[in-house]
Amino acid sequence: METQVVTMQPNLQRQSDPSESPLRAPTSPSAPVAREVRGQTVGELRSRDPRMRCTDINVYYGEKQAVKNVNIDVGNNEVLAMIGPSGCGKTTFLRCLNRMNDTIAGCRVTGEIMMDGTDINGRDVDVVPLRAQVSMVFQKPNPFPKSIWENVAFGPRIHGLAQSKAELEEIVVSSLQRAGLWNEVKDRLQEPGTGLSGGQQQRLCIARSIAVHPEVILMDEPCSALDPISTARIEELIDELRENYSICIVTHSMQQAARVSQRTAYFHLGDLIEVGDTKEIFTRPQHQLTEDYITGRFG
Amino acid sequence: MSNAAATLPAAGGAPRRNVDIINAGMARRRAAERRFRLYGRVAIGLGLAFLVILFASIIANGYTAFWQTHIRLDIPLEASVIDPDGKRDPEALRRADYGGLVKQTLRGMFPEASGRRERMALYGLVSTGAAFDLRDRVVADPSLIGQTVSLWVPADDDIDMLMKGNIQRAAPEKDRRLKDNQLAWVDSLAAEGRLETRFNVDFFTRADSRDPELAGIWGAAVGSFYTLLVTLLLSFPLGVAAAVYLEEFAPRNRWTDLIEVNINNLAAVPSIVFGLLGLAVFINFFGLPRSAPVVGGLVLTLMTLPTIIIASRAALKSVPPSIREAALGVGASPVQAMIYHVLPLALPGMLTGTIIGMAQALGETAPLLMIGMVAFIADIPRGAFDPATALPVQIYLWADSPERAFVERTSAAIMVLLAFLIAMNLFAVMMRRRFERRW
Repeated sequence: METQVVTMQPNLQRQSDPSESPLRAPTSPSAPVAREVRGQTVGELRSRDPRMRCTDINVYYGEKQAVKNVNIDVGNNEVLAMIGPSGCGKTTFLRCLNRMNDTIAGCRVTGEIMMDGTDINGRDVDVVPLRAQVSMVFQKPNPFPKSIWENVAFGPRIHGLAQSKAELEEIVVSSLQRAGLWNEVKDRLQEPGTGLSGGQQQRLCIARSIAVHPEVILMDEPCSALDPISTARIEELIDELRENYSICIVTHSMQQAARVSQRTAYFHLGDLIEVGDTKEIFTRPQHQLTEDYITGRFG
Repeated sequence: MSNAAATLPAAGGAPRRNVDIINAGMARRRAAERRFRLYGRVAIGLGLAFLVILFASIIANGYTAFWQTHIRLDIPLEASVIDPDGKRDPEALRRADYGGLVKQTLRGMFPEASGRRERMALYGLVSTGAAFDLRDRVVADPSLIGQTVSLWVPADDDIDMLMKGNIQRAAPEKDRRLKDNQLAWVDSLAAEGRLETRFNVDFFTRADSRDPELAGIWGAAVGSFYTLLVTLLLSFPLGVAAAVYLEEFAPRNRWTDLIEVNINNLAAVPSIVFGLLGLAVFINFFGLPRSAPVVGGLVLTLMTLPTIIIASRAALKSVPPSIREAALGVGASPVQAMIYHVLPLALPGMLTGTIIGMAQALGETAPLLMIGMVAFIADIPRGAFDPATALPVQIYLWADSPERAFVERTSAAIMVLLAFLIAMNLFAVMMRRRFERRW
């Protein structure tokens, strides 16, 4: 089904593991750009310092294939932005990274996602510790209908991360501080989290995620329901969090991708079309589809 | 430009503005709106009217049962009858012939009654419960022996009916339950101020009786309480566990589809079938006692389970999936996500479903008939294994009784049952409000 037009270009990608060579992607700026590539990604798929390495990821909803043969790395301490038109599979792919697709009936994921030497897509992997390691912030702010305190304390409590009440308190406070929410809520920790504004709710969700000290944070269009000021705060927050975490963010806003990410991946109809340094993607896209999208010709 | 956009080419050629077309149809649309609202109001009005008629007829029939005619007797407590040994032994006091004392008192009041027939008629003025009241009084305070006590005792149900105007004095004597001499005695009692209608405490404190003036609803209420307790203790945990498993954990396949269809079928099974099942399985096979609330509770559990499961599943379905995802997204296991977040949110809906199921069970008669809770039980049950009856069965029994005084008691029992049902439904609404505000 894949009509591959393979460019016979020497493999120049900056790859930490040369054994990953079946993935061909021309990166040299002078190389002729593959215009009709299908199922074949152009750009730098691999990261110099990978946290997660995804190989041949396919996702099917019943008969329908939502993600086709995706190969990509998530680097350490970097923000990877995923952009693309609606329905292109970027959220579906994001949800593979902490097995959230398991909760969807009829959803099947094939391929290999290596993290710390294990394939987290393996059948015998326990998703509970995985999701503590790779936590997720959703498109719509979804605080628990409980107090602000309870929202943040939930993760550490179920994982038994705090030995004492004081320790739990410290985790809650520091998580709220790191999420930039502390000053706004410190006097009303017992009030329901659902009573906060949309932007505050989303930061509360981020605080809830970082309270379990994950290694990777997945964000699924975290700002799509927020106003520009809240968006700006969350973007600042993402920038700060990058120092300690790997972050994957799905976004519809190309400006946001350009502002917050170091690497960008462009998805189109389930295919990963192009991956590369954010600056490169937005200034010199190699693929026609990428160029069309970022210049606003469609999408 | 904008003008052109607001017009459509009309058939005649001259352009018509859209707003004209819309306005032309508005009268019809407004009429349709009004008509629809009218239908709704008529439907609600009819429903309310029937409800009012129902309540009015029940209350009109039944309110008199809350009052009962009493007769004041001055009874000499002769020591020779009550305590011939003079030992004040409580057992002996209990066994004394108080009925004889009451009869003696009546003979003393109306010495003109002679002959067996007349005396029987005379004794019939007072309820047989009078002797028990007298006994209780003496046992509680033995120092009364030797004195004459003035005691208000319940009148016979026929006297009560007469005082409430349900027996026509004008009717020929042979068609009347009270004969002329009895009427004369009643009149003289009334003239002496010895007749009084008092609040019918007995109705709320006693169990069933063959004598309407002694029959009470308490025995049936306690029976219903134990039955519902068993039902609640079994059906709530079972129903919630089944609903949670089916909704949150079970794989979607042919088996779970089959189970789902059968739960829905179970909800539609006529309740008497559950009664037959209870008779065959719980009583005949497992050998549980007949007429016992525990069997009633088991049978009603089978009946309310589908209601609770369906309501609980609906409540679980209405919890937004984002809550589950949020919990799973920070690494909660499915059980943790369910217990900490989904279940608390679904609980008000589950409780509402449970209380509605309980209210249904409280009003259920047919399956209880099959397992023997229709027996005449004159004792108040002391546990779930004692023979008992239930409120709706008591209503059924009284409605079947020939005595006129049971007519008003039937309605009164219905009022008590309705009061319980309304209280339960109010409780369900309150729980719902309260929990929903918290979340």
